[in-house]
Amino acid sequence: MSMRGQTTAAAASPAGLEAEVAAAGHRHWPSSWHLFLVPMSALMAFPFLWMLITSVSTLEESRRFPPQLPSSIQWHNFIDAWTMAPFSRWLLNTVVVAAASVVGNLLFCSLAGYALARMRFIGSGVAFMLILATLMVPFQVVMIPTLLIVRAFGMVDSLGGLVVPNLVTPFGIFLLLQFFRTLPVEIEEAARIDGAGRLGTLVKIVLPQMKAPLATVGIMTLLWRWNDFLWPLILITSEDKMTLPLGLATFQGAHFTNWPVLMAGTLMSQLPMLLVFIFAQRWFVQSLASSGIKG
Amino acid sequence: MGAPSDGPVPAGGTPAGRASRWERLLASDHLSGWIFTSPAMILIAVFGLLPIAWSIVLSFQQNDLLSGGTWIGFDNYTRLMQDPVFAHSVRLTVFYTLLFVPISIALALLCAVALNRKLRCIRLYRTAIFLPVVASTVAEAILFNWLLDKDFGIVNAILAKFGIPAQSFFQDPSQALYCIVGMTVWGWLGFSVIIYLAALQGIPKELVEAAAIDGASRWRIFRRVELPLLGPTTLFLVVYLSINALQLFDEIYVTTKGGPLNATLVVVYYLYQEAFQFFEAGYATAIAYVLFIGILVLTVVQLLIGRRFVHYRS
Amino acid sequence: MSARRNLILVLAVLVAAAAGLLAACGGSDESAQPAGSGSPVALPSPGGGGSVVMWDGATDIERKANDAFVAKYNATDPGFTVQAKFVVSRDYALTKLLTALAGGKAPDISYQFGSSMANLAKSPKVVDLGPIMEQTPGFDWNDFYPAERLATTVNGMVIGVPALVDNLAIVYNKKLFDQAGIAYPTKDWTWTDFRNAAKQLTNASAKQFGWAYVNDGTEDTVWRFLAVLWQANGDLLNADNTKSALDSDAGRKAMQLLYDMAVTDKSVYLDKGDGNYLNLFNSGKIAMLWTGPWDISSINSDVDYGVEILPADVSHATIAGPDNYVVLDNGSQQVANAWAFLQWFLSPEVHLDYAIATGNLPIRKSETELPAYQDYLAKYPASEVFVANLDNVTKARPNIPQYPKISMALGQAVQSVLLGSAQPDQAITVASQAIDAILAAGQ
Repeated sequence: MSMRGQTTAAAASPAGLEAEVAAAGHRHWPSSWHLFLVPMSALMAFPFLWMLITSVSTLEESRRFPPQLPSSIQWHNFIDAWTMAPFSRWLLNTVVVAAASVVGNLLFCSLAGYALARMRFIGSGVAFMLILATLMVPFQVVMIPTLLIVRAFGMVDSLGGLVVPNLVTPFGIFLLLQFFRTLPVEIEEAARIDGAGRLGTLVKIVLPQMKAPLATVGIMTLLWRWNDFLWPLILITSEDKMTLPLGLATFQGAHFTNWPVLMAGTLMSQLPMLLVFIFAQRWFVQSLASSGIKG
Repeated sequence: MGAPSDGPVPAGGTPAGRASRWERLLASDHLSGWIFTSPAMILIAVFGLLPIAWSIVLSFQQNDLLSGGTWIGFDNYTRLMQDPVFAHSVRLTVFYTLLFVPISIALALLCAVALNRKLRCIRLYRTAIFLPVVASTVAEAILFNWLLDKDFGIVNAILAKFGIPAQSFFQDPSQALYCIVGMTVWGWLGFSVIIYLAALQGIPKELVEAAAIDGASRWRIFRRVELPLLGPTTLFLVVYLSINALQLFDEIYVTTKGGPLNATLVVVYYLYQEAFQFFEAGYATAIAYVLFIGILVLTVVQLLIGRRFVHYRS
Repeated sequence: MSARRNLILVLAVLVAAAAGLLAACGGSDESAQPAGSGSPVALPSPGGGGSVVMWDGATDIERKANDAFVAKYNATDPGFTVQAKFVVSRDYALTKLLTALAGGKAPDISYQFGSSMANLAKSPKVVDLGPIMEQTPGFDWNDFYPAERLATTVNGMVIGVPALVDNLAIVYNKKLFDQAGIAYPTKDWTWTDFRNAAKQLTNASAKQFGWAYVNDGTEDTVWRFLAVLWQANGDLLNADNTKSALDSDAGRKAMQLLYDMAVTDKSVYLDKGDGNYLNLFNSGKIAMLWTGPWDISSINSDVDYGVEILPADVSHATIAGPDNYVVLDNGSQQVANAWAFLQWFLSPEVHLDYAIATGNLPIRKSETELPAYQDYLAKYPASEVFVANLDNVTKARPNIPQYPKISMALGQAVQSVLLGSAQPDQAITVASQAIDAILAAGQ
């Protein structure tokens, strides 16, 4: 019905106004936005450009300042990064840890966020403040007690120890909570009156409307777990359990850094996340079916 | 939970049969509420709250993490109240937050609106703007150290073309903190942008179109329709970014290390120094919990203000 | 009302949990005593079939060498195995050891910076190797350079053995000297020669600097200043480390030199601590560095460089920054095994081989008398000056727990002078008073 409503509205409005409102854009709108977006994107993308240049330079070229373009492209740096160290092992570890974290977060943060948004239960306010409170203490302060607790569970120097403490983040709960609240509650109430349980309502009615925020939680969780350095640093001592950030530090000595190989390795390690981000854009394109009030 | 009964009719005045079903549903919310939140609560309690409780105990000790601790009660806290360096670090941190949060939100909103279009290459722009979030802090630091180098940096080269003398940036105590603001706004922008993008997706097109039909200008539509609907998201960002800004550490660690001459000695960097350079873990923990109380108070205030001014649909 | 009740309930649970955990895990060790007591130690003979774990953040060449030498040792069938574990960057070595001591399982041997020694000595798990050395015939502790011995000795206890020694010397770009028509640095250079050369080698329009100085306010800033201070025959602290000796003619002279060069002559590139000075050196933008052997391997092949000892005021004093292997107490058998390995690893012939493989400096004087030393010099010609320079290391940084705070106070003083925001005399006085306050505050 909303789709019909849309086409009706579109047909009814004058051509100029429709063009202004619809995201498809009038002839004049795209060009002025491009004027803003191009320099903005260039500014943001600058470091990656520099990383790319360094990764195809020779070691000696990378040790000059100011940096210059390399005289020839040294693709071998990428191969070196892969072969000079157990890169594939680190990649596998990182993927496992990050994926487990993402799944856990999407699952548990949805449940908790929904409950806090829609259900009134004893202690919910306190629960929410306690959840937020854990964001307010810097990790350096709690990392030793956390290590002791993880040790009590026998998870020191294991991938489990990297995953379990991060299966849920206050960020995910808080973000989803806010987004749940922006949805019209009438649909859920209608479903419940028709006999659907809380869980069913959540899964069948609510979550499909939450694609973009869920994708956001997924992306950020992936990112943070992928790039996490400090916790793996103190938890992991075996090289075959290291994640990419730890492993890449191999190329960065206290007094000697192999910059081209380090940059090549870093670019390779960031690539999967970028691909996920590009892929996830599909949930950020406003789809007609996901907007508005139905029925 | 009480047994379902034909008890009092809810204020809405719904038919008797419906009322008891609603009552039952409402009554069971306590149980389902805790069931839904229990996995999260258990994990957070064990790996989040327990370590916090533990380390609070540490703040009442003099402890170097090597030879055991001695109980000194509130001495760390009284020392903190008289510590001029701590006061200085608090001022710096608050000042930083007051710059970082509003600038980030305004800029992110602008970018999100720009990116919420079906322009050609929009995926490319979005990815570009998200890139700094993906980049590691180390890479970010190297880049900014280079850009803002006093003698060889590009920024000074550009300023020179306008006749402006070379600035010291990171090496100038009066400029360093502003450079950190710039660097962190740049680094975190993509995060706020995708959250605003997600929120913009949730705004029903009908509302925008209805306002357009009524003859409102694009800017008015934005102000009257979209901006209020972004309220919950803005509240989230204000709270979340503030919590993070007040705990700024990584970027300081890889660039200025609290300097030059303590010009960027934010609170968490100060406590890191105390714990891991000066072996005063007890004192460092006390610093952390005073910071914690400050953040908690600020967050509660923000949430209360939010409750007053932010409207959630239905 | 129910919210408040819940709040109290939650807080009570938290407090109870914390108390319970403290009780269960034994809380803090109130009876902790510093490592060792100087009395004779009865160590079992090495063996027992266990494994000795050694943590090091060595990368690249050093790591390969570590692995190779450990394998070599294990092949001699000593009755136990040694495992070299890579722990990601020496910069984090202290954090990792501290967390392992507090919450995890500590290794048997850990590579640590010399600056951490004074504080690590407080841990009861760090072994006092002094008595053990005395009972090991042929170990010859005096064969190690004085700077190394000073760096591992805290309160009369020897809590580590040297892993690495280095020192500061002038590394200069010959081409820039040729272009400016100045003679290269010599063994007889004075401060005046050094300052003049730097001034002549500075060209503002070409963005070329005569000298580079690391100005991030950390120990990297301080230790170069200490070299200057000692060249003027000054001292940081008095003989029993109870008061500052900085506020002296020597101290003021040293600070004045930095001020003259950085602020008056503007011949110094102030590095932000990110190591960019080396990149600039490679690009021919800096003529002279005060640096050590670790930077030599990063100099590009198209840079014709030379090495010379530091200039003198009263003496050509320089400073060393030794790193150490610390032994942790995981039981007397473990300690015995760890010691057996270290004995072998640090013996003259073995360490010379290691030096040839890695380019590190010899840590024992007797290594320079072995025949293979000529091979070492042939492979690393620059090292000859650094090795000879070890004899110019006559003083060491005070090995006291308050040193990190003292370093910070001094570092900021030096930084303020280099940035031109403080006068040398004023900075010296302020730093000296701060140091006295730190020492007076005690532990």
